[in-house]
Amino acid sequence: MYTIIVGCGRVGSELAKLLSTENHDVVVIDRIPASLERLGDTFNGTTLVGNGFNLNLLKQAGIEKSHAFCAVTNGDNTNLICAQVAKKIFKVPKVLARVYDPQRAHIYAALGLDIISGTTLFASMLRDKIIESRFSSYLIETKDLGVIEIEVKKDLAGKTVEEFNIPGEFLVVAIRRLEGVSIPSPTTTLKAKDILMAAVRVASLEKIKDRFGL
Amino acid sequence: MHIVIIGAGKVGYFLAKRLIASKHTVSVVDKDKLICEEIAKQLEILVINGDGCDPRILEEAGIKRADVVAAVTGDDEDNLIICQLSKEIFSVRRAVGRVNNPDNEYTFTELGVDVPIDSTKIIAKIIEEEVSFSDFVNLMSFKRGKLSIVRVDLPKDSPVINKQVHDIGWPDNSVLVSIVRGEEVIIPKGNTILQAADDIIALTVIGNEPQLLELLAGKL
Repeated sequence: MYTIIVGCGRVGSELAKLLSTENHDVVVIDRIPASLERLGDTFNGTTLVGNGFNLNLLKQAGIEKSHAFCAVTNGDNTNLICAQVAKKIFKVPKVLARVYDPQRAHIYAALGLDIISGTTLFASMLRDKIIESRFSSYLIETKDLGVIEIEVKKDLAGKTVEEFNIPGEFLVVAIRRLEGVSIPSPTTTLKAKDILMAAVRVASLEKIKDRFGL
Repeated sequence: MHIVIIGAGKVGYFLAKRLIASKHTVSVVDKDKLICEEIAKQLEILVINGDGCDPRILEEAGIKRADVVAAVTGDDEDNLIICQLSKEIFSVRRAVGRVNNPDNEYTFTELGVDVPIDSTKIIAKIIEEEVSFSDFVNLMSFKRGKLSIVRVDLPKDSPVINKQVHDIGWPDNSVLVSIVRGEEVIIPKGNTILQAADDIIALTVIGNEPQLLELLAGKL
């Protein structure tokens, strides 16, 4: 994947290194030359200094052949504009923008941009860990629904998956055992020490915790 | 009309003053508290201290009943976002955005700013026209640059000199607007005769200027 990253702060540089070690083509743009030093000596992608929504610079960065574009500067407005330029003017297939302000994130997501709001994400992640350490809602980017990991206790062994599923509230989606991870059918029988991964409504969390004796 | 101005620097301040003088209702938003206090002392208008990119601040400034929003801060990103928020969330009919960096003008237009105003480019253009000896001057462009009012100073050897207006084969999509002859402005009729040194003011679709120039000046 040919990816352009605008903003070489902690997130931008980390992302660039991740993609580059996985052998993707990466171009990183930052206004400040010193920021690009975060990439270290081992980074083998391209770097450019300048404004991430300057049309000529983006062309120079190869935006016309890029598959993905990611705006992760520390300015919400800059990211929103970079993303819109990539999406509307250059028609890049996959465009992502980081936006700190939840309100603006919400508005622009509704207008069709792919927004990742670190603020909302991190706050809900912390919330998850506070209410239940094995629960995470951030994975599926919603506040109402999450994923929980449950260890099956001895007294529940021998029951089938469908005895636990509650339509609209709880659904076992995977089982991890010594042999590996599998996607269960409703008739799969649970064994003690199985780790269940299940989708669950935040509102139903307490009920599920009771059910499994957590 | 009700106009919300974001950015109370020199441009925002003088714009507010002019609009008030022509009986519009105006409110002003600026991030700087001191600037806001100063404006509040000098002009009798609603002044809001805050970030114009925050929809709540725009609401406080009365954006819901605004006919026009003018984003004239010194920051292009802010101006563009303010224009977008005004149009998308508050359905303001007309968003005017100041372009500080001429490179961004196209982006403003593409991303939905109705009227991008690029002061740097405007000033540079005026200076350029003052120093150039060209016979052809673009006076203003509108409709997102699709239409232009131009001035052509007829050279002595112009092929249209001593011809009547209705005898001249005007190019398609071009209209003769007026003739400036010395101090006199002439609204032309079919039988008006063009003279050397006349300045021709014409309205033309962009792309047709070469034909117009060739017709009036006999060269490209």
